Order: sequence, then structure tokens, then C-alpha cells
Amino acid sequence: MGTPILLGLDGGGIRTFGKYIAKENMKIYTHPIIIPYNISSKFQIGAIGMFVNKNFERINSQSGIGDASLFAKYQVYQKDGKGKTFRLITKLNQVFPTGKASSMPPIGSNAWQTQLGLVSGYVTLKYGLYAELAYTFTTNGLPDNFIYNIAFVYPLLPQKYPPKQVNLNIGFNGNYLSSINRNTIFMSSGVQLIVGKKILFETGIQLPLIENVPNTQKTKFIYTLGTRVLLF
Amino acid sequence: MNNSKTKRAIQIICVFFLIIIFNTSSKAQERINITYIKIEVDGLSCPFCAYGLEKELKKIAGSDSVMILLKEGEAIMKVPNSQIPTKESLEKIVIDAGFTPRGITFSKITSAIKEE
Repeated sequence: MGTPILLGLDGGGIRTFGKYIAKENMKIYTHPIIIPYNISSKFQIGAIGMFVNKNFERINSQSGIGDASLFAKYQVYQKDGKGKTFRLITKLNQVFPTGKASSMPPIGSNAWQTQLGLVSGYVTLKYGLYAELAYTFTTNGLPDNFIYNIAFVYPLLPQKYPPKQVNLNIGFNGNYLSSINRNTIFMSSGVQLIVGKKILFETGIQLPLIENVPNTQKTKFIYTLGTRVLLF
Repeated sequence: MNNSKTKRAIQIICVFFLIIIFNTSSKAQERINITYIKIEVDGLSCPFCAYGLEKELKKIAGSDSVMILLKEGEAIMKVPNSQIPTKESLEKIVIDAGFTPRGITFSKITSAIKEE
């Protein structure tokens, strides 16, 4: 959850962003494109396709189409007030091992990954609070993982419509690899620039606070830059 | 010669006033034929999310003007009297856009909408 979730209200548009992950032994660039579609006001499905470039120790570089995903979100609870809303959403995300796994470094994970999660958000005109819990079941010997994220969003300008807005966000992103008992927590910070009714730009950086992994696999930082566009 | 100029000036003035009277009358007629609708919407907390509601309200025939007021939690629109939507259809649009309708007011005059 690099940037806060719009709680499924962004159906009818696309989201895409570039993500640069600087690790001790590898530089990874991923560029997913996320296409959601609202079946109803409470039920959203979507697909994620991804371009991946991995550069290992500046020796081996591989690029290609990474693992593809399908997802579904269902809003199980909604409580609205004047200028505020609380929503609870369940989500299912299925990753397919479509990325090339035989290359060095591999582009795909070579594993089926099924993630079940719960996302909640309390959003007012003055601030937004988001939380996410999810568990990923994996195949092919990869460790299962438990994700726990929280984020706080603060609009810098008075909220109005049509929007011209700058939102700041800060959050913590946790990932516990249950089967090998390893934990990582990243602190994330970012900016959303909303320049019109149908388009926003967002950027953010994540820094590791706790990263219980081998030294060669440690992350220096993660940088994201992307956009969301409502098409219809 | 002077008489002719005076007559010409009077004619121009008359035409000018006729245009003003006709224009005022048509505007008044237009106002009479318009209904203003105020929809109180709960859950309007995100400007980027309000686009879906505005888009759906604009689909209503004759709705050439929709205004979303985030702070007030309201959508204001005007429609010709011949194409006034039902309260139920407006509530459905709000719910389908992901929000909760709190109240809907129909009025012939804008001031009534504003005061309420």
C-alpha cells in the first residue's frame, strides 16, 4: 500500500506507477497498470499487468512482463455522514506465475499467490485514516506472508470540487513472513497532486525501519511515481 | 430633415426597449420553466470520488448544470420542468455512485434552495 487506497471508488479508471526498489545487491523497477471495474457500488473487479526490470549486482539485467493478477473487492460495511465516511472492504487478489522465472535474475515469482485481505478507511474532509490486513498463501516453497499497513492522509488545501488538491500521506507498511519468521516494517511518505476531476499524480518514498532479512537482500529505499486517471 | 432624424432616433429607441422587454420576458419564462433540485449527500469526503456522482447526475435529460458542494455535502442541479426526475431515481443515482442520500428538495426558485 504505497499510496492510500481510494476504497474502490476509483472504478472506471486506471492507475499506473513506476516503482524503483534499491536493494543492496539488486535494483528492481516494476511498472504495474491496474484496471479496476465497478460491477456495482459495492463490488469491484480488476486486473493488474506489470513490466519488470531487474538488475543484479550490475552484472545481469533482465526485463519482461511480470506476474499478472486478478482482484476482486467487496464493500461489506459503509457508514456515511456529512463530509465523512467509514468503509470496510474485503479483497481477494490472485497472482498468476506468468513472468519468466528461468532467467537470472528471474522476472516472475514462479508461484501462485492468493491474498485475502481486509481494508478499512475513515475519510473526512479534513483527514483520512486507512488500515489494511492481508494474508498471502503461496506455492512452490515461497513463504506465506502477513501484511499490515496503516496510513494517514492530510489535505493541505481546503477540499472543494472541482478539485485542486495537494494531499500528504504518511504510513507504515509491515510484512511478516510467517513460515520463516521474518519481519519487515517500512515507513512510507508521499504526496498526491489532484489537478482536475479525472486525474491525479502521486509520488512516495518508503524507507526500511525493521528489515529482518539477510544483509545482501536488505532494501535501501523504494521510490514510486504514478498517476490515476478516470476514463469513464 | 431634423424631424426625420428625430423619428429615426425614436424608432431606434423603441426597438431597443422592445428587445430588452422581450429578453427580460424570455428569461423570466425560462426561470418559470426551471426546477432547482438540492440533493443532500452523506459520504462526500473525497473530491476525486465526487466525479462519479456528478457524471451520473449530468446524464439526466436536460440537466445542463450540476454543482457539487463538498463542504455542504450537497449536489445542486437544475432541470426543465418537463424533465423533473423522481426522488427515487435521484436516490438510486446517489447510492449507485457510492454515497448515501439524506434529503432531496425540489424548488422553483434558487433562493429556497440556498436558504434551506
